[in-house]
Amino acid sequence: MKQAELNPAVPNPAPQAPRQMAAVAELRWRIFVNSLHTFRGRLELASRIFVGIAFVAGGIGGAVGLGGAAWFLMLEENAEWLGALLWPVFLFWQLFPLMATAFTKNLESASLLRFPLRYRSYFLIRLAYGSLDPATTVASLWLLGITIGIGAARPRLLPWAAVVLVTFAMVNILLARMAFAWLERWLAQRRTREIMGVLFFLCILSLQLISPLVAFYGHKSNPETRLLGQEFSQVQRPLPPGLAAAAIARAAQGQHWPGRFYFLLLGLYGIAFLWLLNFRLRAEYHGENLSESARRKASPAELPAPHPGWNVPGLPGPVTAVFEKELRYLSRSGPMLFTLVVPLFMLLVFRSSGHNQDLFAHAPELTFPLGAAYSLLLLTNLSYNNFGADGSGVQFFFAAPVRFRQIMTGKNLAHAAIFALEVALVWLGTSLLYRPPSIRVTLATVAGILFALPIDLAAGNLFSIYSPTRVEAGVFGRQRASLTTVLASFGVRGALFSGGALMLWLSRHYGNSWIVVPLLLLPAVLACAAYALALNHIDGMALGHRENLISQLGR
Amino acid sequence: MVTPTIATENLTRRFGDLVAVEDVNLRVASGQFFGFLGPNGAGKSTTIKMLTGLLAPTAGRIQILGLDLVTNMVEVKRQIGVVPEGMALFGRLTGSEYLNFVGRMYGLDRETAAKRTSELLEFMQLVDQPKTMVTDYSHGMQKKLALAAAVIHGPKVLFLDEPFEGVDAIAAGTLKAMLQRMIARGATIFLTSHVLEIVERLCSHVGIIHRGRLVAQGSLEELRAGVEAQAAVLPEAATSDGSSREKLTLEQIFLRIVGGSRAASQELSWLG
Repeated sequence: MKQAELNPAVPNPAPQAPRQMAAVAELRWRIFVNSLHTFRGRLELASRIFVGIAFVAGGIGGAVGLGGAAWFLMLEENAEWLGALLWPVFLFWQLFPLMATAFTKNLESASLLRFPLRYRSYFLIRLAYGSLDPATTVASLWLLGITIGIGAARPRLLPWAAVVLVTFAMVNILLARMAFAWLERWLAQRRTREIMGVLFFLCILSLQLISPLVAFYGHKSNPETRLLGQEFSQVQRPLPPGLAAAAIARAAQGQHWPGRFYFLLLGLYGIAFLWLLNFRLRAEYHGENLSESARRKASPAELPAPHPGWNVPGLPGPVTAVFEKELRYLSRSGPMLFTLVVPLFMLLVFRSSGHNQDLFAHAPELTFPLGAAYSLLLLTNLSYNNFGADGSGVQFFFAAPVRFRQIMTGKNLAHAAIFALEVALVWLGTSLLYRPPSIRVTLATVAGILFALPIDLAAGNLFSIYSPTRVEAGVFGRQRASLTTVLASFGVRGALFSGGALMLWLSRHYGNSWIVVPLLLLPAVLACAAYALALNHIDGMALGHRENLISQLGR
Repeated sequence: MVTPTIATENLTRRFGDLVAVEDVNLRVASGQFFGFLGPNGAGKSTTIKMLTGLLAPTAGRIQILGLDLVTNMVEVKRQIGVVPEGMALFGRLTGSEYLNFVGRMYGLDRETAAKRTSELLEFMQLVDQPKTMVTDYSHGMQKKLALAAAVIHGPKVLFLDEPFEGVDAIAAGTLKAMLQRMIARGATIFLTSHVLEIVERLCSHVGIIHRGRLVAQGSLEELRAGVEAQAAVLPEAATSDGSSREKLTLEQIFLRIVGGSRAASQELSWLG
């Protein structure tokens, strides 16, 4: 090598954005390839391929459907109704990534800040790599379908429709990135994180009200519904989907200047989102301090009074300690607490649908068992990723002189207690909103729970050990069980509910509805035995997988 | 012959083709303050993880307090305290709740756990944040809490992986005082650290691991004598840093044993 090439006086060349972006792309590729070296990584890839195929099918199916609808609307000269097609696209694009974080894997792009990135590169990396998610892919396919549908019906409108819908897509990408960037900022601090969790949860709950509202207004007289439709049409028009639809509709009617005006307004939305995203990322880029300990006020020293832990009669100290710790953790998680009210809320939603649409009005005896089954589904993130919230604390369980079966027992008891509370609330809600479930239905449901819960907890324990995922409250996209675990939990619950349904069918077949109780209690005994057997082997499994658990949760 | 408190026999750990620790035979006697040193990647953390049951050895045996670790894991863990890499804290508990939890996991009754929690929080100067969650503690406070948790059950042996890393001088003083007090009461402490001055000041005995192999073990005086004896055979090595006439520091002993002089003499062409 020539000495001139090694001259220390020659400064490093300025880092180039394309090279840095290529380096990040290579980084992601290496992370992906390296993940395949483990069985867990290969399993996760298989799950992603499975889900990916489902998304592509949904994307293509939706594109065909929406494209056909757009074609029909344009032929019928009802272009102003395009908004009805763009709103679902918009809502899916913005809400799906928030609701289905297990399907999203975000790069920790903020950690790139230690490199000499120019702000422009950082911004582009955050924008580009953050947008590589299923929602963007599926929604883009849908927009492509709509564009083709419009073009098929009105070929001369195709270029304009393409420009408007590409802009609409950009607005969606910017809005989604902007929302995520701000959410991450709020989630970075515990208190704001809890407030955000509650608000987010209320938003998700409020979405459940759409169906009852539609059902409610569906019963109203036609003029009244039309008036409501007109009001909604007025409200939605200044929003991005309404503007995009109006820009195309006006052009289709030959009103080019109004069309351009609406397009301009859509572009202004994009600029506003861009500005807000830029504002947030620039603060990140300049190294804002979100440390909570730095803001803590010094309080006068006080000697804490000895405060003994809980005492649960009949339980050994370590099991009680784990039980207490789990419930304390849960009590400090706003979103988790709110999941407790979801089954009750769903009963309210069904009740408010009106008697003709209310599933339970026709079969009220199903209310309690279905509510209990729904409550079991809500336990997934707790029971199928037992150690997720413990993080590096999982090391303590291996260092402490306690058997893993005691630790699992403590955790399972906490989850079972939460489930029992939920079931009691569902029973109470059913009694108040419909009628008290009969003794037969109550006993059958309890027998079904005794059958399903041990199996579900045992499966959850196994997946918690074999496929642990660190739950990070402060980062979107890394808050849930792994995709493999989520799919597996669906499979387990599917099998359990099918078993319950089979017992129900058998009881009907023999014309004796009481027979379902012993029919469920028999497998319940077997389920409890299977749970005990699995628990007896849990120490060996945990020790065998301790390296994976510690490395996955402690990273 | 007195049974050592910590003893390993051909302790080996492989990660695929990589041999992280190979045939390590450690002997730590009761009451020793043992410093376990080595360059980065030498196998310190792997060894301490195996000694505390956090990692399974590929081969070899571990005896703690005369008990085989594999066959008496729970009994051994009952008598040891650990501050592992990453500290193993539960972030969403308060300091008081965390210590109570740990105490009960180690088999203390509720009242004893509560009383010791109170005393430890006061000793560690953590009482002014009674309602703050561990996740909101500063790094130094978390270290102090981790050490408090490791001693709440009065262990006979304490394993500390880099206890002074990222700790300020005040917190380090508190930690050292506690460790000295434990040694005075007959406990055995096994500590890894990169800060050689701390090890030299605190530890009575030292083990040095290099590329997975235990290359030296003994009291500081024994190591010093060994290096000086080697220097007498190789006079050019003894004079290279001009230290042969003075008492060797632990840093000099360490560098002689692991061959640190080679890296220091190298230069990076672009750094000038």
